[in-house]
Amino acid sequence: MRDFFDIKSNDNALFVTEQCNNHCLMCCQPPRNVDDIDKLYQKNQHLIRSAPKELKVLGITGGEPTLLGEKLFDLIAEIRQFLPDTELHLLSNGRSFANEAFAQRLAEVSEGMIVVGVPLHSDYERDHDKISGCKGAFAETMYGLYNLADAGVPIELRIVVNKLNFIRLPHIAQFIFKNLPFVSWTAFMGMEQTGLAHKNHNAIWVEPVDYVDLLAQAVFYLGSWGLDACIYNIPLCLLPETVWLHAEKSISDWKTQYSAQCDKCLKRQQCCGLFGTSSEEYVGLNPFMS
Amino acid sequence: MDDRAALHIFVLTLQCNQGCTYCQASSRDKHAESCTMSKEVLKRSVEFMFQSPAHVLTMEFQGGEPSLHPELVRYGIEVAENLRKQQSRDIRYVLCTNCVDVNDDLLSLCKEFNVLISTSLDGPEWLHNRNRGKADSYQKVVAGIKKAREVLGNNAVSALQTTSVMALDHPIGIVDEYVRMGFHDMFLRALNPYGLAANNDDWSQYTDRFVEFYKKAFEHILELNRQGISFVEDFATIILRKILTPFDSGFVDLQSPAGIVNSVLVYNYDGNVYTSDEGRMLAEHGDYTFCLGNVFDQYEDIVYGPKVQQLAQVWSAETLAGCFDCAWRPYCGADPVRNHSTQGDVYGFRPSSLLCRKNKTIITYLVSLIIERYDEVMPIFKNWLQ
Repeated sequence: MRDFFDIKSNDNALFVTEQCNNHCLMCCQPPRNVDDIDKLYQKNQHLIRSAPKELKVLGITGGEPTLLGEKLFDLIAEIRQFLPDTELHLLSNGRSFANEAFAQRLAEVSEGMIVVGVPLHSDYERDHDKISGCKGAFAETMYGLYNLADAGVPIELRIVVNKLNFIRLPHIAQFIFKNLPFVSWTAFMGMEQTGLAHKNHNAIWVEPVDYVDLLAQAVFYLGSWGLDACIYNIPLCLLPETVWLHAEKSISDWKTQYSAQCDKCLKRQQCCGLFGTSSEEYVGLNPFMS
Repeated sequence: MDDRAALHIFVLTLQCNQGCTYCQASSRDKHAESCTMSKEVLKRSVEFMFQSPAHVLTMEFQGGEPSLHPELVRYGIEVAENLRKQQSRDIRYVLCTNCVDVNDDLLSLCKEFNVLISTSLDGPEWLHNRNRGKADSYQKVVAGIKKAREVLGNNAVSALQTTSVMALDHPIGIVDEYVRMGFHDMFLRALNPYGLAANNDDWSQYTDRFVEFYKKAFEHILELNRQGISFVEDFATIILRKILTPFDSGFVDLQSPAGIVNSVLVYNYDGNVYTSDEGRMLAEHGDYTFCLGNVFDQYEDIVYGPKVQQLAQVWSAETLAGCFDCAWRPYCGADPVRNHSTQGDVYGFRPSSLLCRKNKTIITYLVSLIIERYDEVMPIFKNWLQ
């Protein structure tokens, strides 16, 4: 995380705590139980005051930002005051919003200028709980999603594809249409092989080549019901051409790297590239030469 | 939690300029007296409607033929507009008219307040005219539809089809007439056993023949869609939305708890309030079972009153014998008014209920299509449901 804002970057974010109430098997930012909230809050206050007013999007991330409680709303109020035209992108596991009043407070204080990115690991409760490392997480996240929707807060649903959930991707898509049709869009995300994802490699790592067909099925299914889906963090050469229009340049620019093979690739400009932070490259990279 | 009725039907008059063989609405001659709403009753009815806490109100003008009294349509809308502004509510207006007498004044009123026109077209010229008991009805309706579309736009005009006994043998011709007339959808609608239609000879045979009619027309509609003509069947779409999506169309005839009172209230020309359109039709034949009171009564005394308390015992399919354990219960509904009119009691007896037979057969047919012809029908159904 940088200590300044770069107006040209696609990723400017406030890091608000290392604490988290989930312990996801593939977390790229492993949680730590440290008393860091006040210290980071002060630092972020300074960042907000010195930020360029033209900043389009500002992320709020952690750890789990909602563990700040009322302080999170103070922070958002400050952003609204000093950066009135900046949209917020809050990353949260959504569990705190199982409290209806908490979701309503977020809606009030963010004044319609927020999207909340919430990971859903599976349509099956026990898989979700296992991946998020916390029993009961699925139920709380689902309540949270409903309360956010009820409060009128736009939601980005995030499915981080891993070995424990890829087989159910089409079922997850069906579950989303039947139970969460109000989300603004669903993002299917390739894993960043760092942090816990690196440590738990054997339990959770899966190569995109092994799941892209199921991923395409899920994306097409959502599309057939008029729901938006996008794909983050998977380079174009690993995706069937039929889903390219869903692929986004999603990797934070300061993390993006290209493999040596990518130098000659004709699609490099359109491609999200690779995580510079990952310990290994994806299998099957295949530059477009003509 | 207490959302209550969204659809409010105003029976402005029983007078009509047509003489349909299957009339379900107890219409009378266009010069008949004492069957038109007074301004006083209309004003009070609109105020009554505004006591319903529904998010969006729908005010539907019906008859008889409401266009015979454009001054009442205008007055009703004016009273409603005043209240709407005071209370910052949303409201939409629907005018149910046979389109025979639509004139410029009426259409400019519709344009001013975005009034949707719901009309009625039975099928090809010969069939429509024979149903209507007039030699020139078809020409007038078609001219009226054309005129209304010119002023209000194509999407503001919709039509309902009604399957008379004579229509049963002509499913393809009826569908083709709707396509030819430039409609993008139709509701394949069975006769309801109310009003004149109740005099039909054999309802059991009619029901079976209707289901066959429905399937033939539906197959034809699927074929049109396969050929690239996007044309929707509305009854199937209501059911498919329940089966295939997490949403509901809010169609009052397939709800549990039933649509009566919960989703619809009817204000008759004389100020009496009814559970539903069918409830007031029975009253025209002397059966006041579904008369809840009068618009000059208190709103609470009507909507939560003793009659509604009684009806609430039998308006949930979840509690009715023959419904609660039916596989199609989530897609169907309860209809105490129909039970009363055809079987003599509001609870109803499912084994001999023709409504049950019709709904069960059609829902089974639609589910079979999804199971047996998935790849063929699903793209069409999804297109209808978007």
